[in-house]
Amino acid sequence: MHMSDGLISTPVAAVAAVAAAALIGVAGFKVKKSTRPGIVPLTGVLGAFVFAAQMVNFSIPGTGSSGHIIGGVLLAAFLGPWAAFLALSSVLIIQCLLFADGGLLALGCNIVNMAAMSCLVAYPLVFRPLIGRGASTMRLMCASVLACTVALELGACLVAVETKLSGVTALSTGSFLLLMTGIHLLIGIGEGLATGAVLGFVRKVKPSLLEPEDRGVSRRVPLGAVVAFALAAAAIGGGLSMAASSDPDGLEWSVEKVAGSSDIPSAGVVADAARRIQSGTAAMPDYDNTFSGIIGAALVMLTLWGFCALLTRRRAVAAHVPDEHVKE
Amino acid sequence: MGKIDKALDTLHAMERGSESAALSYAAGTRAGMAVTLVYLCLLLSVPLQDLQRLVWFAVYPVVWASLGGVGYGRVMRRSLVVLPLIAFVGIFNPIVDTSPAFSVGSVVVSRGWVSFMSILIRGMLSVQAVVTLMSVCGFADVCRELRAVHVPSSLTMQLQLVYRYIGVMLEELQTMARARAARGYGRRSFPLRMWGTMTGQLFLRSVDRAERIHRAMLARGFDGSMPRYTPSERHGAHGVGSVVWAVAWTGVLVWLRFAHIGSIFNIVR
Repeated sequence: MHMSDGLISTPVAAVAAVAAAALIGVAGFKVKKSTRPGIVPLTGVLGAFVFAAQMVNFSIPGTGSSGHIIGGVLLAAFLGPWAAFLALSSVLIIQCLLFADGGLLALGCNIVNMAAMSCLVAYPLVFRPLIGRGASTMRLMCASVLACTVALELGACLVAVETKLSGVTALSTGSFLLLMTGIHLLIGIGEGLATGAVLGFVRKVKPSLLEPEDRGVSRRVPLGAVVAFALAAAAIGGGLSMAASSDPDGLEWSVEKVAGSSDIPSAGVVADAARRIQSGTAAMPDYDNTFSGIIGAALVMLTLWGFCALLTRRRAVAAHVPDEHVKE
Repeated sequence: MGKIDKALDTLHAMERGSESAALSYAAGTRAGMAVTLVYLCLLLSVPLQDLQRLVWFAVYPVVWASLGGVGYGRVMRRSLVVLPLIAFVGIFNPIVDTSPAFSVGSVVVSRGWVSFMSILIRGMLSVQAVVTLMSVCGFADVCRELRAVHVPSSLTMQLQLVYRYIGVMLEELQTMARARAARGYGRRSFPLRMWGTMTGQLFLRSVDRAERIHRAMLARGFDGSMPRYTPSERHGAHGVGSVVWAVAWTGVLVWLRFAHIGSIFNIVR
């Protein structure tokens, strides 16, 4: 779900960056004020742990494919929401800077879509009320699946909205939302099962590590009610997105109102005649203006690359010669 | 476990790259970060139909990576990882937007294909700029400069800790995965229950390690914030050279963004 810079525009990136920066500021403040001993190194090391855990794929039952975790709900269950948000944000920043996973300007979007939705929304609003104290293994698994699915679905919706607001995709918002949420529903279930598996193991071996500073919560929400609510929300969301996709967009609507039809009318007889003359005389219409420009720019870039490579190699050879003499 | 090896290789290569690049790079990390940010903002503001202008924007990673001693080929290869996701999102453009953009001989290229190519190029160039920055300057120096420009210490400290322990955790995981592979009788897939147990074990080891680190930090006088070390000679240049470098690049990039591109090509021709 890592968004690339290619998919967003500068204003959308700026708004998301401001939101992410504000959340990171609050998270930093909360972690600083935390009374839990060793929270700073624990957050750092568990951030590295999530990064490493993402490297091992697990088999998704019944599909023959495999997937890996994102780890937001998992981290939040061990660290609490704010510290988990800080750890996951650090992981996303490092993935962007060192592993080219997601763009630098899209970092704000990625932090909001993945870290905030899982640690600050799905964990406190879905996982924690469901789990309470002394939950059974099945309940733990169901809570994980629901929380992770909600987190990923919200993230997927945000990806669709941000991409659409950036004007990058030609798909309608409804179709894009449907596509993204459909795919991420399966990923969310896989993530939830994996999160539940790890949480179940840790609870069995070292239960004191779970629910760090939030263990005071004892009120549990009935599981059936939450499942019904989630299904209803999915049905309403799906219905709305279907309706949205069938409506014309603003420009089509405006043209239809003005001209009576959404097709833009021809400019007239003179324009048609001009177009006929142009198509008759031009061997390659638009060739000079657009295509040659692109090819020309690409050729210049290639030449520049070759020149730079040559220059660097010469310099490297020159720098290498004295070393050889020294060795000899 | 190819992914683990690859991630470890990337980490080590990044360290090596930043060390070797130090010999030929004197612009300063802060100037590099500022120009990269300007570059990304200008790159993303280019309209999707202006494919030619986007190609010209390759000048920054090409020149900087080559002169920084990193090699543009390596940067180019690293940027290919973004292609699957952006291709997935962008591939609908040629299907939905079939209005003609220009033609090459008898072949008409639609606006959808132009915007699809633009998305791919934008995605790759933005990654190339960041990869070049990190390869030339190194992660530690970037963290230090972030702190110097008043990014909260809680974030920079976490970044340093996560970065420092990613390698350690990956090596730990590599050992566990190798042990599992040796006893797996050729089975390569990880059933969910086994994956949960293995990841849980890794988690317990991580917590143990975090406790040891915390005790070591306390023993060395840790009071909630990391000590600020003095800038190194390598990338600490904030002098005239780095200012000139940043201003020159900003000028070139702003000109590329707003100049009439046809006239640029005419000059070159």
